[in-house]
Amino acid sequence: MSGGERSKVGRVVLVGAVIGLLVGAAVAPTVWDRTTGPDGSVAVVELHSTITSDTASTVIDNLREARQNDSIEAVVLDIDSPGGAAAASEQLYLAVKRTRQVMPVVTSVTGMAASGGYYTAVASDEIYVTPASSVGSVGVRATIPTGGVPAGEIVTGPDKGSTATQTEVRQRVESLRRAFVGSVMAERNASLTLSANELSYAKLYSGARGVRLGLADSIGGVDTAISAAASEAGLSDYRVVRMESPTPNVLSQLGLSADADGTASASATFGNQGVETVHYLTLHGSVAGPKTEVVANASA
Amino acid sequence: MRAPDLRRGVGAFVAVLLAAVVVTAGVGVVSDAVGSNGATQPDAPAYDTGDLLPTPVDDGGSVPAPDAGTQKTVVVDAAHGNTVGRADMQPLVNALVESGHEVRFYTGGGSSSLISGSGTSALNETLNDADAFVIADPAAAYSGAEADAVSAFADNGGRVLLLGDTPTTATSASSLLGLTGETTAGSGQPNAVAARHGLAFNADYLYDMTENANNFQYVYGSPSADGGLAAGVDRTVFDAAVAVAHGDAATAAISAENVSRESTRTTGTYAVAVRSGNVAAIGDTWFLSPDGATVADNEALVGNVADFLVSGTKTGTIGGSSGSTVRPGGISLDGANAAGGSTNASNATNATSATA
Repeated sequence: MSGGERSKVGRVVLVGAVIGLLVGAAVAPTVWDRTTGPDGSVAVVELHSTITSDTASTVIDNLREARQNDSIEAVVLDIDSPGGAAAASEQLYLAVKRTRQVMPVVTSVTGMAASGGYYTAVASDEIYVTPASSVGSVGVRATIPTGGVPAGEIVTGPDKGSTATQTEVRQRVESLRRAFVGSVMAERNASLTLSANELSYAKLYSGARGVRLGLADSIGGVDTAISAAASEAGLSDYRVVRMESPTPNVLSQLGLSADADGTASASATFGNQGVETVHYLTLHGSVAGPKTEVVANASA
Repeated sequence: MRAPDLRRGVGAFVAVLLAAVVVTAGVGVVSDAVGSNGATQPDAPAYDTGDLLPTPVDDGGSVPAPDAGTQKTVVVDAAHGNTVGRADMQPLVNALVESGHEVRFYTGGGSSSLISGSGTSALNETLNDADAFVIADPAAAYSGAEADAVSAFADNGGRVLLLGDTPTTATSASSLLGLTGETTAGSGQPNAVAARHGLAFNADYLYDMTENANNFQYVYGSPSADGGLAAGVDRTVFDAAVAVAHGDAATAAISAENVSRESTRTTGTYAVAVRSGNVAAIGDTWFLSPDGATVADNEALVGNVADFLVSGTKTGTIGGSSGSTVRPGGISLDGANAAGGSTNASNATNATSATA
């Protein structure tokens, strides 16, 4: 091999080495991430509002995202809600139940998990509370608009205006109570010390009392819940992703969705604008405005 | 570059591109068939719908008409802001009217009642024409003189039916030319009259969390005596009924068993329908309403109530001195100024006949 050829080979080797170095430098961060990065993520899904079909949809979408995203290995539900519409609360319960089939779901009650809020929490693997947070209010209520056919309207049947008789609403409230109480009994079966009857009183308990009665599992903050969820998912090194609660719409932030007298009515909060119907609610606290109310439990 | 070299280069590029697309599609199809999507959409069954639907309580039949013997006059108090009116006791009114009896609604005294206390006098006149008197949920309490009059009416053989629900209070404040006033609406219980016959309505409702008519406030009543108000009754339904306390002189006709009181949460058997001589006290009004009168055996109870009202024999009259009593201040809770809006002082009619 002549000197000229050796020099040519040397140049080729040098160019190859430089290209290799550049490619290696480009790939190195990914390799570094793969070897030293977190094993997966814990998604913190917020529910920080009354439950309407809109707020429930966001949470249900977030849970679906958690199920389908391969990097998310566990979910923590961060709940502070007095409940809301019964149908939306049932949707949330089913979404949490479904998510639990795929990955650990741990709830942290950061304020109140009452009525529909507790309905959402009850399907999770574990419920963490603090002494001042509250859980319970396992009950259903219906608000009934004034009956009869309104003046100036022609309808095709006696129930077109009010949608049902009092007796029918009472029966429906009873069947919703059975569904709610039955679900809580089934989900908390292992730890619950209350009977179905005692649960039906729909009391709201403090976190500490809730743990004693078996409505919750342990005292702990949201970080305890995150670490418990990660541990159940087998993650020693993990990232936390927060999926935020939907913000109330602009109108309600301005107070415009309330009634003319400034009080929030069931219709304004849960109904379609301007339409009075029977509202079935799993809600703790009072709603202004209903003409008649059928309550399934002593203090729902 | 020569043309053959260019063709070779383009051919290699197309071959590699196709290979990459085909391999990706193949892997996708295989992984889809394995069912990776199924793992993220698990089956999560909930609710046994068979257990959710409650059994409706039997609702049928009709209120039996009472004895059609001598025509009797039944007067219903509507002068004390009573929250239960004609529409709320239509089945009872219908049963009485259909068997030939007369039902009147007493709407208070004349316009001078504010200064003379003639509300009581008007009540006396009304009672003198009546064979039975019904007081349901008076918002304004009966004065001592009025309660005396009703009590004397019962002592003379007139039948008195007292009905009471859980009392409610709704107070609204008003201001006129700097003067503020408070109006109390809502409903009350006829305790002033009941007390004269050894009876008292409790203020809290009864509930039953286990054996109920599809709601904890709808409790079952069962007969605790034979005949009378309980004749032909096996099981009645009351809505947010209140217990009626009574002494030995009175007899419980229908009681709710294993129910709890809302205020004390104590469970026991509480009398809801009680009879003390010519006075009957029932801690519910829903069973008289069109909605409640045919539920379970309520129609038998309504029939018994109608029978009770028209089966008395009244002798003598009441009144005299009590009608001219002028109380200090002159303003009382007579029928004339009863809250509730259904009556007013200018209504000169003592009683209006029912047109059922």
